[in-house]
Amino acid sequence: MSVTASAAPSKLKSFVSNQQFILFLVLLGMIGIFTAFNRIFFSVGVAGNVLADWGPLVLVALAETFVIVSGGIDLSVGSVCTLSGVVGAFAIRALTESGMAPYLTLFIGALVCIGVGCIAGVINTLLINYAKLVPFIATLVTLGAAAGLALVFTGGGPIAGGPSQAIQLSVPWLGPISTPIIIVIVICFICWAFLHKSRFGRHTYSLGSNPFATRAAGISIAKQTAKIYILSGALAGAAGMFFYLRLGSGAPSSGLGLELYAIAAVVIGGASLSGGSGRITGTVLGALILTTVTSGLIIVGVDPNWKQVVVAILIAAAVTIQGLRRSEGKAS
Amino acid sequence: MTAPIYEVRNISKKYGAVTALDDVTMQLYPGEVVGLVGDNGAGKSTLVKCLSGVHQPTSGTILLEGQERHWKSPHEALEQGIETLYQDSGLAPHLSVAANVFLGREETVPGILGKMGFLAQKKMDVEAHQELDRVGIAVPQSNRSVSQLSGGQRQAVAIGRAVAWAKKVIILDEPTNHLGARQAGEVLQIIKTAREQGLGVIFISHTLPHVMEVTDRIVVLRLGKVVKDAPTSEFTVETLLGTITGLITD
Amino acid sequence: MFGLSNMKRSTAGLVAVAGATSLLLAACSSSDTTASESSNAAGGACQGKTIAFVMGAVADPFFNAMKVGAQEEATAQGATLVWQGDKEYSAATQIPVLDQVLATNPSGLVLIPTDPVALQAGFEKAVAAGIPSALVDTKVNDISKAVTFITGDNTDGGTKAADAIATAIGYEDGKTYKVVVGLTSKTATTNVARLEGFQKAIAANYPGITIEDIAYSESNSAKANTNVNNWLTKYPDLSGIFAIDGTNATGAAAALQAKGLTGKVALVGYDAYPDNVKLITDGVFTALIAQDPAAEAKQAIQSICTTIGGGTVTTKEVVIPNVVLDKNTSAADLTKYTYVA
Repeated sequence: MSVTASAAPSKLKSFVSNQQFILFLVLLGMIGIFTAFNRIFFSVGVAGNVLADWGPLVLVALAETFVIVSGGIDLSVGSVCTLSGVVGAFAIRALTESGMAPYLTLFIGALVCIGVGCIAGVINTLLINYAKLVPFIATLVTLGAAAGLALVFTGGGPIAGGPSQAIQLSVPWLGPISTPIIIVIVICFICWAFLHKSRFGRHTYSLGSNPFATRAAGISIAKQTAKIYILSGALAGAAGMFFYLRLGSGAPSSGLGLELYAIAAVVIGGASLSGGSGRITGTVLGALILTTVTSGLIIVGVDPNWKQVVVAILIAAAVTIQGLRRSEGKAS
Repeated sequence: MTAPIYEVRNISKKYGAVTALDDVTMQLYPGEVVGLVGDNGAGKSTLVKCLSGVHQPTSGTILLEGQERHWKSPHEALEQGIETLYQDSGLAPHLSVAANVFLGREETVPGILGKMGFLAQKKMDVEAHQELDRVGIAVPQSNRSVSQLSGGQRQAVAIGRAVAWAKKVIILDEPTNHLGARQAGEVLQIIKTAREQGLGVIFISHTLPHVMEVTDRIVVLRLGKVVKDAPTSEFTVETLLGTITGLITD
Repeated sequence: MFGLSNMKRSTAGLVAVAGATSLLLAACSSSDTTASESSNAAGGACQGKTIAFVMGAVADPFFNAMKVGAQEEATAQGATLVWQGDKEYSAATQIPVLDQVLATNPSGLVLIPTDPVALQAGFEKAVAAGIPSALVDTKVNDISKAVTFITGDNTDGGTKAADAIATAIGYEDGKTYKVVVGLTSKTATTNVARLEGFQKAIAANYPGITIEDIAYSESNSAKANTNVNNWLTKYPDLSGIFAIDGTNATGAAAALQAKGLTGKVALVGYDAYPDNVKLITDGVFTALIAQDPAAEAKQAIQSICTTIGGGTVTTKEVVIPNVVLDKNTSAADLTKYTYVA
């Protein structure tokens, strides 16, 4: 029996019709438009601002990419980011008071943030695998609990008292790029490698694509789910540390609503909420487009509330393009 | 005659007060295709689940190559060389043909990266192509996404995958469902190839002409019991139908 | 303190447990009331009564400071305080909280409306139910039925902020200066009043200063930080920033520090968050305008108790002045006006 596939499209054609390429054009177009309104937009300073916003957003968006590709959803990333930043801030304050060296303190603080994120991931896993809640509900529970705890722990105010090196670390030194941004870029690359090149990533796709076939192939869905949600929590924790470095304090409001922008970035990046598709490069560009819009509207001087409208249009466009490509795929 | 490769003796399966399987005994020999037929609710699915390790029978024994087995999971049965193609479980449509063929059995690159789970994708692409070719399926490009294949092509890949990996036994649950005549014929051809390679094949189907064409022996289930177990040559489509519906009894 | 911690915890699952919490609090605070039996005459009127305090957002030390004042006064009057609010400063989440609190039929209500229009109906529902109701900090559009409206003088705070910025940049007539204002929301009446005071003072006294832009942080310091980062890039010659409340102050302070512009761009913040007060001595904040939330809450509860006791509150609007904290403020005053974390 022969599986006759139609002739492969030419490389150029597949490159041009590729969603990431379209996103790249959108990004260039936006930079062009914003620059046309105000020349200062095309500057190292603005690029630095865009990247400073991009850092935490892309971290939670990476987390969301793994989850969405697996056919799930993680609504807790924003408040887990907040909670881990706050708990990390307490640890950093305590270590600073105990006289520990600043950079070691910040390093341990980062580990605490990631650890808190992992714990949240474990809780999500338990709720999904054992309490048998659907991911939407399970992570909604964690969202509420984490946001509440962040407020209870802080009493509402920012938690400072860390080394002054924290904010200094956020200062760009390589053009618009700061040290935390370099780390975020490395994390993006690692996520790309694991999602697209490793067994873990392969099973993440197959879980989202067809959980029955995945189980039939002898893959433990419970274990795979655990790995995905714990990774998601860890990345949200890393985002919490990023916010800490930026504000020089753990603020109980820093991750508020971040999950929705993360999901938006992933969807704009070409992932389908029904699972099985999505690319790290898409998410990275999607997040970059969102933060470019934020800075662009401020620099141009438009009411920042327009951002929500622009985001809505981008999501609608991304989903429409996906739909068109899917129906084209069927016709061929 | 050689010993059976896979065998169940007196197995029963009860779901609460409902008896889905009642004292079922059957054998499967290497290089043999056994048809498993019966009306809806006759117990075919339950028997398949017991054979593939999804369910544990309430009583009775399962023997693989004469050794008693208690499957705790489908994964365990899979590791012992029993491949099952479930009805409608199919493939992961977003993954490539090669990724589906190697799903759950991915090969990794050598060295530390391999330990971290990094895949030897090119190697798998080549091997998937060879394996499918070996069982009689020609795939021009095994790195194409399964979603780009037609229904028949997908089913061919799914069966090819099962046959390629099966070391001892292959269980096919309704593999010709939803297929056109030509594609169904091709599927039956793959089953014959598997038999020639010495595998034991259990073929479950409602399409009696397919059962008549490809099997060596037919086991008829009715209300959870084996009502007939005889070589295919003893049946015609009419007598087989009569046995399934209970109009013909021995 | 046991009572306080319970109230904090209850805010997360607020709507569902509001009723139960008030029972719990009633039980917890019974021991407090015995300690203050020998209170003044007004205390007699409020003895054993429950006063509900529906506030703006639990994520704000400003309200924590207010809570301390409210609790002190309620204890002194022999009343039980039920402190309720959502984690977000939003009318959409505050209205159901208010409804739930009214369902428990408190003896008096103190409300911090998060929106002047949206909370009008809920406020009137309380008045119609015969519950003496006072407004604190922000108000609803029609305050005729309120026992009293007590607020910090936000317009005056804005004026003082304008003066502080002008002093810090060494304002001279004939020169031009650019400033920006970071707000939390377009409609919060405190934001509106502070901005108004600021704008009027600039127009009247400092014609060389232009307000180039304003932006909203939605109670999120990270968003406030983004806004200020971009302003600093857009206006390389920016002279000053007015951060209209605590979250904006936190975000703006971090931006100035990261860009190395501490002391080069004048930053006047609002609200004496503990960490921000420390940054006055570091020179990050030119000045902080502080309110006295504890005093506002105390006066509101006193007025409620007077009304419950059959007395009348004659002053419809009470304005509690803001204070300017800067590097010349004494350490004792800095401590006194710092909000509770």
